[in-house]
Amino acid sequence: MECDRATGLLSPLVDSALGPIARWQVRRHVAGCDACAEKLEELRAMRAAIRTKLIFHRAPPGLAARIGAALPREAPPEASRPWFRLPVFSFGGTGLVGALAGVALTVLVMSGQGMGGGHSEAMQAVIGSHIRSLQAEHLTDVLTSDQHTVKPWLSARLDVSPPVLELKDQGFPLVGGRQDYVDGHPTAVVVYRHAKHVINLLAWASPGAANEPPRDESRQGFNVVTWRRNGITYYAVSDVEADQLAEFAKLVAQAT
Amino acid sequence: MPHDDRRRRFELLALPHLDAAYNLARWLAGNTTDAEDVVQDAYLRAYRYFDAFHGGNFRVWLLTIVRNAFLTWVKENRSGRMVFVPDTPLAETADTETTMWGSRPRDPEALLLESIDSETLSRLMEQLPAEYREVLLLREVEDLAYKEIADVTGSPIGTVMSRLSRARLALRKLWLEHIALEDAHGV
Repeated sequence: MECDRATGLLSPLVDSALGPIARWQVRRHVAGCDACAEKLEELRAMRAAIRTKLIFHRAPPGLAARIGAALPREAPPEASRPWFRLPVFSFGGTGLVGALAGVALTVLVMSGQGMGGGHSEAMQAVIGSHIRSLQAEHLTDVLTSDQHTVKPWLSARLDVSPPVLELKDQGFPLVGGRQDYVDGHPTAVVVYRHAKHVINLLAWASPGAANEPPRDESRQGFNVVTWRRNGITYYAVSDVEADQLAEFAKLVAQAT
Repeated sequence: MPHDDRRRRFELLALPHLDAAYNLARWLAGNTTDAEDVVQDAYLRAYRYFDAFHGGNFRVWLLTIVRNAFLTWVKENRSGRMVFVPDTPLAETADTETTMWGSRPRDPEALLLESIDSETLSRLMEQLPAEYREVLLLREVEDLAYKEIADVTGSPIGTVMSRLSRARLALRKLWLEHIALEDAHGV
């Protein structure tokens, strides 16, 4: 590959956005070209600088309340009404219309209630805990990036002792810990960050329950990985991308 | 589903992304008051079109609406002022990425942006054209993939790729100018 062409592909290389062949070609070129290697190093440094140093403007206090007050409280907008009319048509309609209405209703009920059963309720509660932690500015009870402070703090208060790891080098710095009560369980929460996103790792005791390997799920725009090990149930929940949360969960699960 | 449920479901989905929405609006609009107006308008729009959200990444969907709300706001409040410069295909401009890199400076270490402080970096970002600032924010702060940035900005993926590349080089140029200025003042 020529220098000119490789130079234009350095930026997508930094973003991991190249296909395997182009990636291999650019890397091979960079390995033998000092000028391009330096450019690549510069782009990586710039990326790290933006990710760690650019000012993040948090929403001012009161904005959420103002938006809440501005949301309309009257009848639902026109767009959602056909869903409610459909079954009414079907009573006098043909069998086909009736069958279609049945499908529409089933979809509504399923999307409204999820999979049902205990897992779904726990999942709902876990996401609720995550959302509360983001909203109420009650992310942590103990705010420290020192793992040797978080762990004893949690073990002193709860009968579960989740792993508290230093994963800064892997891109998941420790933020702190908190105590929560989720789906009927006293819960230990270890809080990590990835870029500007919060990852909550919840753990509660499930004495006697069988081990379960990590499983991914996506719910309400959040990604969740759950597993069970040695009588403790774990949930990692965040709005980071699914593959990054999976990587995080893998690192933590190794320590459980 | 009852109206209250719709509203509760919306709040549950949308409020956790308020910081992300505000940060984007603040970086685009450039000040607190306008950013708040843009975000509030975006949330009202999102609520109005909530039934059109069919799963997928809610944050990406919401950021798209924030961006549209910003463009509407620009049209109504800063008429005549161009915020987003239309893209020119690479072949038609004098700047190729190779020429934008320029020649190597005397002190390559100074270029690495490792020593930059948060305030300077943020000030340089403010000087970038909006379409560069926007892709950098979506990529590095929101951690969106090219496809998602393409969805938010309504551009083809190839455009996202070249715009990001140029945005980085433009930021690097500003940084070089900043260093040169400091050198000139003997800092």
